[in-house]
Amino acid sequence: MIGLSHYLVLSAGLFGLGILGLLTRRNAVNVLMSIELILNSANLNLVAFSRYAAGNLGGQVFAVFVIVVAAAEVAVALAIVLTLYRLRRTPNLDDAQVLKG
Amino acid sequence: MSGEAAVFWVFAALTLGSAAIVVLSRTLIYSAFALLVTFFGVAGLYVLLGADFLAATQLLVYVGGILVLLLFGVMLTHKIYDLDLRTETTQLASGLWVAGGLFVVLTAVALKTEWPARARLPASTTTPIGRLFLGEYLLPFEAASVLLLVALMGAAMIVRRRRDA
Amino acid sequence: MQELSRSLSAFRPELALLIGLALVVLADTFLGRARDFATRLLTVAALAGALGAALALATAGTRETIFSGMLVIDPLGSALELILIASGLLTVLAFGFRNSRELHGLGQGELYSLVLALVLSCLLLAAAGDVVMLYLALEMVSITSYVMVAYLKGDRLSNEASLKYVLFGAASTGSMLYGLSLLYGLAGTTSLRGIQEYLAGGIPDGNRFAVYVITLLVLAGFGFKIAAVPFHFWCPDVYQGAATPVTALLSVLPKAAGLAITLRFFYGTFSVPGRHAWDLSGSIEWGGLLMLVSVLTMTLGNVAALTQTNMKRLLAYSSIAHAGFLLMGIVALSENGARGLIVYLGAYLVMNLGAFLVVTLVHLHTGSFDLRDYPGLYRRAPLLTLAMAFFLLSLVGIPPFVGFLAKLYVFAAVIEQGSGTYATIAALNAAVAAYYYFKVLKVMTIDPGNEDQPAIELALADKAWLAAFALANVVPLLFWDRIEGWARGALVLYAGR
Repeated sequence: MIGLSHYLVLSAGLFGLGILGLLTRRNAVNVLMSIELILNSANLNLVAFSRYAAGNLGGQVFAVFVIVVAAAEVAVALAIVLTLYRLRRTPNLDDAQVLKG
Repeated sequence: MSGEAAVFWVFAALTLGSAAIVVLSRTLIYSAFALLVTFFGVAGLYVLLGADFLAATQLLVYVGGILVLLLFGVMLTHKIYDLDLRTETTQLASGLWVAGGLFVVLTAVALKTEWPARARLPASTTTPIGRLFLGEYLLPFEAASVLLLVALMGAAMIVRRRRDA
Repeated sequence: MQELSRSLSAFRPELALLIGLALVVLADTFLGRARDFATRLLTVAALAGALGAALALATAGTRETIFSGMLVIDPLGSALELILIASGLLTVLAFGFRNSRELHGLGQGELYSLVLALVLSCLLLAAAGDVVMLYLALEMVSITSYVMVAYLKGDRLSNEASLKYVLFGAASTGSMLYGLSLLYGLAGTTSLRGIQEYLAGGIPDGNRFAVYVITLLVLAGFGFKIAAVPFHFWCPDVYQGAATPVTALLSVLPKAAGLAITLRFFYGTFSVPGRHAWDLSGSIEWGGLLMLVSVLTMTLGNVAALTQTNMKRLLAYSSIAHAGFLLMGIVALSENGARGLIVYLGAYLVMNLGAFLVVTLVHLHTGSFDLRDYPGLYRRAPLLTLAMAFFLLSLVGIPPFVGFLAKLYVFAAVIEQGSGTYATIAALNAAVAAYYYFKVLKVMTIDPGNEDQPAIELALADKAWLAAFALANVVPLLFWDRIEGWARGALVLYAGR
C-alpha cells in the first residue's frame, strides 16, 4: 500500500539531491536546476498532504503558486546569467572573483 | 504488488534517478535533459495523487516553459561541459555529508510524525481549484500578476542592450 | 461581494500603489520626452497617496482580516505600513537620478515602477495572514529586489552581486517553502490563524521534532530577508554592487517587511492566546534560538565592519548588526518588544537613509566610495559632514539622537523579560560598533588629506534633504512622551485576541 510516508521520503530525497547540487555545482545554470529540484520536492509534499493529511485543496493551490514563482525566478536568474556571460564569457560562480569577503 | 504501487515505484525511480543525474552529471546538457525527466516523473506522481490540474500545469509550465528557458540558457552560454574534476570531488564529499544529513533529518520527520489523516479522494480538481482562485485565494491570484509583470519587465530590461537614453 | 468591498476599503494603500504602478508603466511606454518627469511625478503621487491612505487606516485603528484571511490589518501592522511607505517615498524624493552618478543615463521609468512594486510587495508581506500569501509576497519582494540590484547591467560587479543574490535567495526561500509544506501537512490548512489553532490545541510529543525542523527551515527564508546570520552572506556584495539609492531602499524595506512577518509568524502563530504571549504550545526553545541568531548577527556585523574601507560594505555590515538589534525586539517575547521593534525601525529608517544619502553625494562629487578618500570633507562640505555626524551618532545610539531612543526601547523590553546577559552582550556590541562609526567621523573631520581638492557645492535640494534627515534624527526626542503614549496605546498586534 502506497501511503503518505512514501511520498514524503521521496520528496526528502529530492530535497537532499537539490541541496547537494546547490553546494557542489559551480555553474549557475546547474545551481538553478538544483533549486528547481528543491521547489519540486516541496510541491510534492504539498500535493501529498493535500491528498492524505489535509483533505482540502489548499496544498494544491499553494503548489500552483510555487510553480508561478519558480517561473518568474528562473526568468530573472537566466537574464542575469546571460548578461554576466556577455560581460565575462563564463557563467561559472567561482570565477566571480571581483566580490570577496 | 498492486497496479498503483507499481506505477508509484516506476515514477519514483524515474524522478530520483534523473534528479541524481541532474546533480552529478559533468555535462550540462545531460543535466538539462535529466531535469526534463524529473519534471515528467513529478507530473506522473501528481496524477497518482489525484492532482490532475496540477499535473497539467507542471507539464505546461515546468517542461514547456522553465525547462525550455533553461535549455536556452545552456545553449546561449556555450558551456556544455562543466570542467575541473579536482574541485568537484573534494567539494562532493562535504556536500554529501550535509545533503545526506538533511535527508536523514527530513525522513525522520516524515516517518516519526503523526500526520493527521483526512483523505481527499481523487476527483476532478480543476473546477474546485478555479473556485478557490476566485474565492478564498483571490488576493494571491491577483498579486501573482504583479509578480509576473515585474519578472517580465525585469528580465527584458536586464537582457536588452543598452538603449540610447 | 460584500467581503470583497469590505476588504477593498482596507486595501487602499496597496490600491494606490497598484494604480501608480500601472500608470508608471503606461507612461514609460507611451510618453516621449516627458517620460522621466511624468514617471517620477506619478511615483511620488502614488506613494504619497498610499501614505495618506495608510495614515487613515492607522488612525482608524482597524483590526480585521481581509480577503478571506489573506491579510491581517491591525494597529501594529498599520504602523509598519507607514514606515514602509515612508521609506519608499523618502528614498524616491531624496535620491534621484540627478544626484546619483551610478544611475546617470539609465532609464528611469522601470526603476520607479520597481520601487512601487517593491513597496507594494513589502506591504503584502508585512500583513500576510496565510502561508500562501506569505510565500508569494516574500518571493515578490525578493524578485523585485533581484531586478533592482541587476539594474546596473553594464557593471560586472553589479551583475555578479545580483546573481549571487538570486541563487542564495532562491535556495533560502526554497528551504523555507519545504518547511511551510510540512506545516501545512501538520495543520491541514494554509491559514496562519488555523495553524495557530492547531498548535494551541496541543501537539503530540512525536510531532515536536517536526515543529522544530519546520521552525529552522522557515527561519532560513526569514533570515535571508533580514540578513541575519547565517543567511547574511549575500548582503555586503549586494549592497556594494547595487546602485546606492537602490542599496538605501533595500537596507530598509525588505528588512522591515521581513522582521514584520517574523514577528507576526512567531508571535501570532506560534503563541497561545490568553497567556504569556510567547509560550509555544510545543514548548520549543525558539526564543533561545532567536536570541542566538540575534547575538551572532550583531556580533558578526560589528566585527566585520571594523575593517571595511568601502563605505557601502561598511554600511552593509552595519545594517547586518542593526538587524541583530532589531531582533531583540522579537526575542523580548512581549508587546513591549514589538513596540520597540517599530520604534527601532522608524529610527533605523532615518539613520540609514541619511547615511546612504551622504555616501551617494560624496560619490557624485568625488567619484569614490572609499573611506580613504574621505579625509578633508569637513573642510570641503561642512554641511554634509555635520549631517553625517548626526547620522553616525544616531547609529551608535547616543542621546539626544533617535538611535538612542530606539536602543532604549529594545533594551528595556529585553531586560524586562529578565535576559540580563543578552542585554549586556548587546550593549558591548553597541560599544564595538561605536568604534567604526567614530572612525568614519574622525576620517571625515580630523584626518589630513585632500587639501588640494576644491570645496563641494551641493545642490539646494540635496542640502535640504540632508538637513531634513538630520533633524529627523533629533526632533523625535522632543516628543518622547507623545511617542511613548502612542506606542503604548496604539500598537496592538491582532493575533486573534
